[in-house]
Amino acid sequence: MTLLKIRKQTKNIPKIAKSLCDDMLQTLEQAKRPELQAIKCSLDNSIYSPSIGYLTPGKKKIRTELNVSSVQKLSRVVFFLELLLNNIDIGAVNTKRELYYRAKGLVRDNLKYGAIDFEDQNESDPIIEFICDMLEVYREELNCYANDRGGQTYSQALIVTEILPDGEKATIDLSSLGTTPFQPKNKPQSLKLKAKKKIDFCLILESEGTANTLASMGMTKRHNCILMGAAGVPSNAVRGWTKTIQEQLKVPIYFCGDLDAYTLQNIYRTLKAGSAASLIRNSDFSAPKVRFLGVLPEDVKKYDLDCYNVKKMDKGELRALKKAKDALANDPFFRDRRNKKLSDILRWLVKNKIRCEQQAFFSVDAKDPLCFEKIMIEKIKKKTFI
Amino acid sequence: MTKPKITTSSTAEYFAKNLQQVGFSSPTKAVLTTLKEAVDNALDACEVAGILPELNITIKKVGKGSGRNTDLVELIIEDNGPGLELEELPKVFGEYLASSKFGRGQCSRGQQGIGISASVTWAQLTNAKGVTVTSKTKRMRKAVKALINVNIKGNKGIIKKKSTIDWNKPHGVKVEFRIDGRVQLNGDGGLLTYLEGTTLVNPHLDINYKLLENDWVKIERVRSDIPKIPPATLPHPHTMKLGEFIGHAHLYDNTPLSSFLKKGFSRVTDQTIKAFVSAGLPKNVLKKRVIQLSQDQYKACFQAIQSTDLMNPSTQSVLTIGEANLAKSIARLGEVDFMSVVTRKPRICDFKPVVVEVALARFINRGDADEPVQLLRFANRVPLQFDKGGCAITQALETVNWRSYGVTQPKRSIPLGPYVFAISITSPFIKFKNASKETIDSSEELIEEIRRALMQAGQKLSRHIRREHKESQLEKKIAHIEKFGPILIDILGRIAKAPKSRTKKAEEGLAKLLGRDTRDAKKELEEAKTKLDVLKTKEAARRNS
Repeated sequence: MTLLKIRKQTKNIPKIAKSLCDDMLQTLEQAKRPELQAIKCSLDNSIYSPSIGYLTPGKKKIRTELNVSSVQKLSRVVFFLELLLNNIDIGAVNTKRELYYRAKGLVRDNLKYGAIDFEDQNESDPIIEFICDMLEVYREELNCYANDRGGQTYSQALIVTEILPDGEKATIDLSSLGTTPFQPKNKPQSLKLKAKKKIDFCLILESEGTANTLASMGMTKRHNCILMGAAGVPSNAVRGWTKTIQEQLKVPIYFCGDLDAYTLQNIYRTLKAGSAASLIRNSDFSAPKVRFLGVLPEDVKKYDLDCYNVKKMDKGELRALKKAKDALANDPFFRDRRNKKLSDILRWLVKNKIRCEQQAFFSVDAKDPLCFEKIMIEKIKKKTFI
Repeated sequence: MTKPKITTSSTAEYFAKNLQQVGFSSPTKAVLTTLKEAVDNALDACEVAGILPELNITIKKVGKGSGRNTDLVELIIEDNGPGLELEELPKVFGEYLASSKFGRGQCSRGQQGIGISASVTWAQLTNAKGVTVTSKTKRMRKAVKALINVNIKGNKGIIKKKSTIDWNKPHGVKVEFRIDGRVQLNGDGGLLTYLEGTTLVNPHLDINYKLLENDWVKIERVRSDIPKIPPATLPHPHTMKLGEFIGHAHLYDNTPLSSFLKKGFSRVTDQTIKAFVSAGLPKNVLKKRVIQLSQDQYKACFQAIQSTDLMNPSTQSVLTIGEANLAKSIARLGEVDFMSVVTRKPRICDFKPVVVEVALARFINRGDADEPVQLLRFANRVPLQFDKGGCAITQALETVNWRSYGVTQPKRSIPLGPYVFAISITSPFIKFKNASKETIDSSEELIEEIRRALMQAGQKLSRHIRREHKESQLEKKIAHIEKFGPILIDILGRIAKAPKSRTKKAEEGLAKLLGRDTRDAKKELEEAKTKLDVLKTKEAARRNS
């Protein structure tokens, strides 16, 4: 049985791991200090090129050399590496939480390994992440899956086909699901998409609730479109699914979320160009063609939308504004001149210290329950997006 | 309607009705306050007479108290002081505000002459009997023993049951109280805490005590010279109000004003008098005798003085315990793990000379890492045991960031750990919040001065803590090598499918590598220890010089 894959991966992980351990052992035999290297996943090692469309890693590496302080970490790394290699070998999968408990079980069964024991999952997760960064592979390629929250998707025109590991095909016609959303979780990149009729656009809403409202009110029946709820910061499943829609259907994709610094940096930027923390994954988990439909500062003016002042006491909002200032200075995505309009919005937010929620569009014509949908369509038609 | 009759009460009557104001607000506090007042008097008397104090204290329950939930507690405090003449006994023990120290501007423990009379009043109110005093001065062949009561209506002491007895002591005073009370030994308001505190700040004290059923405890002095009480200084004119100024002037009735100003105050010279004149003091008034001055002239003179800049008062009237003495004395409380002692130079806070001394110590087998440190507060070498929160010392302690010195501290609170923090304020003019002298009133200047002392002591303390941290880090590192090294090689060998010969060689290589690291870490630790020892030697030399 072969597991579904996110990408065509030519890397032979067991072989790379064996060679890595062999090198370490050899270095130790010579009484020298072995060293492990991993890509530095941080903003200062992120490169953004508009032609590529997402953040890619620079040359900086994190080097962990063996010494009295790092011997614990290195032992834990090889301990987990062996566990993951074993999973790959037998085709077993686990979540990070499950791996944490498996590690605890293995330590309990082998008294010799007592020192490795993990007190908390906070200790085991960074080890798994370090292994991914070191081998430059996805967690899923080490058979470690997250319980990702899929993006709730509605459409009358989309058919999804999944080829199961045993070769059997599962075909889902989204129009047959009624008001129940289709919600692909892990590895949406392995799904095959087909349009029953020409799909005009895909609209991703920050609020899952609003996506559900629009679908319930019949938007997908009135328009040949795909509606998706991102539910805040997009998970890997949402990111992978958006990327799949972009690649396979080649339809325009729009994002509509709150007008605030957090949405622009943490939600929209991640969906479009990935994040610094996931530099290795960005190529398969970013959809560079997604456009920012709103809420735009000009919408606030045009539709006289209700705004809130950023509360001085709200630490979360103040932190987002501070981060926005940092992003303007250091984030290669916002520093790129092609994204000037987006960085202008960030500047505007920092200056005015206000925020406007996407649901404010419902106030434009409070008597018309379809006003949100109408505004979205109007904006798409008039191309008022970034 | 009949007009209410206006009556006057004696001072004794006032205090008899308001004993809670002077430390008798509960049976527990009554025992502590009585002990405290007797010990304060004994120590002050010894110091004035130039005698090294020796105190014997016994406290026991002798029956049921007259009040609800109280015991009849007997307190006997015996000193080797100069003793009191028979005619002095009723004044000292039975009359309020009869003091040899009131307003003298010296760093004595007692000030107003209220405390011991209040203790006698409490004994009288709860057990219908005052205090039994045995006293012998150098010139007496036999000691006098008498029961002293307070005549509450007349604020006078009354001698009862007078006798002379043989006493095998050259001089001294023994007081015996039987009062309603409850005995608390430990905790902030405990008798043991009081006795330990008193021992700490009086290195020249020999003390023996027996509390309830416990064994006798004998603590010997660590200093064999008597602390020199600095002479009293004249008041500084800027510390007075107009009424006090006029009252003070009447002590010099026939003296010309200019002479009074120079003789009656510190920091007033011919030069400053000229400055008073330029500030509005009429020149012709200066030659007038003080008794001839009108209220307006007093006011004009006072206003001119207040608007003139004067030198700060002298700091010579302040007594210090000294770092060396504090360091020796703190070791009497138990086995000290390490300590940090700081005596600040006398400073002027709110126009009053003040000295802040701090001793921070960690004891072996005392205190808990998760509990707040034991805070011992002192004012003029008297432990302060109640109303901790409102005291300037506590406020200053809480504003220091102890975490930067390696001590755990919840935000803006008393730090945690197995430490004793002893903080002593000495000044001839300490401003207390109440007559029972339980808390020092806070002012910005005083809090800042205490903070500085604490920070200085904290810096010294942090050197010890850092060394300990390094030690524990080294232990951790060595433990890491022993624990993780074999696991690392074991797993590497399995993943690389290496033969045993290779893993054995790798183990040898690892041992070499990590051995080097351990040696480096040990060397680093040794360097830190040496540095600390040098500092300790320097500090000890400084303390002794």
